[in-house]
Amino acid sequence: MAGIDLGAASPRTTLDVVGRSPATRRRVSRIALYVVLSVISVVMVVPFVWMVVTSLKTPTDIAATPPTFFPTQWAWHNYADALAAAPFLTYARNSLVIAVSHTAINLLVASMAGYALARLRFRGSELVFLGFVAALMIPTYTKIIPEFLIVRFMPLFGGNDILGQGGTGWLDTWWALIVPGAVTPFAVFLFRQFYLDLPVELEEAARLDGVSELGIWARIMTPLVKPAFITVALLTFESSWNNFLWPLLVTRTDSMRVIQVGLSVFRTENDTQWAFLMAGTTLATLPMVALFLLGQKYFVRGFANAGIK
Amino acid sequence: MAVVSAPHDVSAPPTAPPRPAAPKRGRAGAARRRAGMLMLAPAVLHALIWIGIPLVAAFVLSFTNYDVLTPPRFNGIQNYVDALTDPVFRRGMLNTLVYAFFTVPVAMGIALLIALMLDTQLRARALFRTAVFIPQVTATIAVALVWLWIYDPRNGLLNAVLAFFGIPAQNWLSSTTWAMPAIIVVGIWQGVGLKMLIYLAALQSLPKDVYEAASVDGASKTRQFFSITLPLLKPATFFVFVTSVISAFQAFDLIYILTDGGPANTTTMMTYEIYKSAFREFRLGYACAQSIILFVFLLLLTLANRRLNGGDSGRH
Repeated sequence: MAGIDLGAASPRTTLDVVGRSPATRRRVSRIALYVVLSVISVVMVVPFVWMVVTSLKTPTDIAATPPTFFPTQWAWHNYADALAAAPFLTYARNSLVIAVSHTAINLLVASMAGYALARLRFRGSELVFLGFVAALMIPTYTKIIPEFLIVRFMPLFGGNDILGQGGTGWLDTWWALIVPGAVTPFAVFLFRQFYLDLPVELEEAARLDGVSELGIWARIMTPLVKPAFITVALLTFESSWNNFLWPLLVTRTDSMRVIQVGLSVFRTENDTQWAFLMAGTTLATLPMVALFLLGQKYFVRGFANAGIK
Repeated sequence: MAVVSAPHDVSAPPTAPPRPAAPKRGRAGAARRRAGMLMLAPAVLHALIWIGIPLVAAFVLSFTNYDVLTPPRFNGIQNYVDALTDPVFRRGMLNTLVYAFFTVPVAMGIALLIALMLDTQLRARALFRTAVFIPQVTATIAVALVWLWIYDPRNGLLNAVLAFFGIPAQNWLSSTTWAMPAIIVVGIWQGVGLKMLIYLAALQSLPKDVYEAASVDGASKTRQFFSITLPLLKPATFFVFVTSVISAFQAFDLIYILTDGGPANTTTMMTYEIYKSAFREFRLGYACAQSIILFVFLLLLTLANRRLNGGDSGRH
């Protein structure tokens, strides 16, 4: 554990005649390791710090050449001004509604499916599983045009007739923002992996006790895979909150916009207001960073699990 | 857990001690199969509507002329011919490959190096790991806006830092030379954390005794890395490669914010051309053909990697 351990190094060098140079070399390489890792970490983190300090700068500080890193005057009012300049809070609320809905639906539907694929096999379920694995491979951009058309021509919605003509379908509605992305094959896949690891005795004992299949899933097996639920919840929430292209395509009005789309629109409409833009970006970023720091263990486990299994 | 341990003792059937997991016949089996189908139904239905049908539709539409307002008209393989001969789309394919080269194999090398550095007894290891991973969880749009500001020619951070070292300022994102490298840097910066994390988890699960045996046999550290570590990392490498290729080929948000495909199409990507064809020019059939070409690229790369890397034998 000891990073720079001065005490331990000296007795070893006195005992070992040729030991001086390896011990020193080890210490030097250790210090080099810290330096390299620190430089990398700074490069990774500086853009975020730059984002936050910019959001607190006055227009004078922003226009300064060369720029100072920290504001000469901390303009805390930028946040209030940014919220007045664009409805960032509405955007954030919309993103939150969608992310929470996606998470709830994905947890329910994908965990049931993953459980069925792992424990309740039937003729053809292996094929269904392969279908989900194949679906993992299909790029978003191959699906997105027909998905847009399905939403646009959704029968009997948004003034459309039974053939999907005449109106705008699901465009600019919660339906379009929530339904198509609600269940992910990745979550089904991940849940299946977790349910596979549970011992079969548990479910057989419950079955002999007369617990229904749904009851076995909900009350006996599911409490044992809580980490899977937290992992899928975090990953779903994150990708939903960060999604851009789909909400860009299916929303038209400001009141339906999500935070990522709102930011990009604000940028094109107010080209030079960097302080406000960075204030909005900070608001869009902080929830995810906070969530990640809180649930880091599960993020790591989720990504790593998917990679190793 | 206590709930199920009690009945378990009572219920051990006297006739059939070690029965295999899934009984195929009987009323209980039928009930179980029915439950399985019902629990699977919502996910399958959702996947059929939002993945299955769109995939088939994209394929069918790719052979038509379609502008949303009038019904699609069959035009054979014309869209594919157009796409593969269009200089801008070809540029997009080339750019995508260049971007993928730097954000997949090159970034994987960087990620593995960082993972190796972190796979040691370090103080503050968690802190380093968090720092490297954080860009991964933040939205690409937000990240791109921050980098847009960093790359700003007049007041940006990058030019200020370079000026400190006496390097002249650049107009990064409007330069045909620098725009692509600028985008690649952001791509690597954002994606390296996930790759590193998977490698680190894989490194930590490697068996320690193999290394001890190798050390006893006198194998050098370098030798150990190439003959033990790298081969044992194959499943992780396969997974990292596939997921990274999928995301590299779908880079869009960065381009949308940073360059809009310019200057002079030097940063346009296949995805960006699909978006432009479909939603700016309303040539949906043509865009579908472009999207099928993208899909074929991904399939070929995945299959090639599976061949080269010996597959993903450790998984499912």
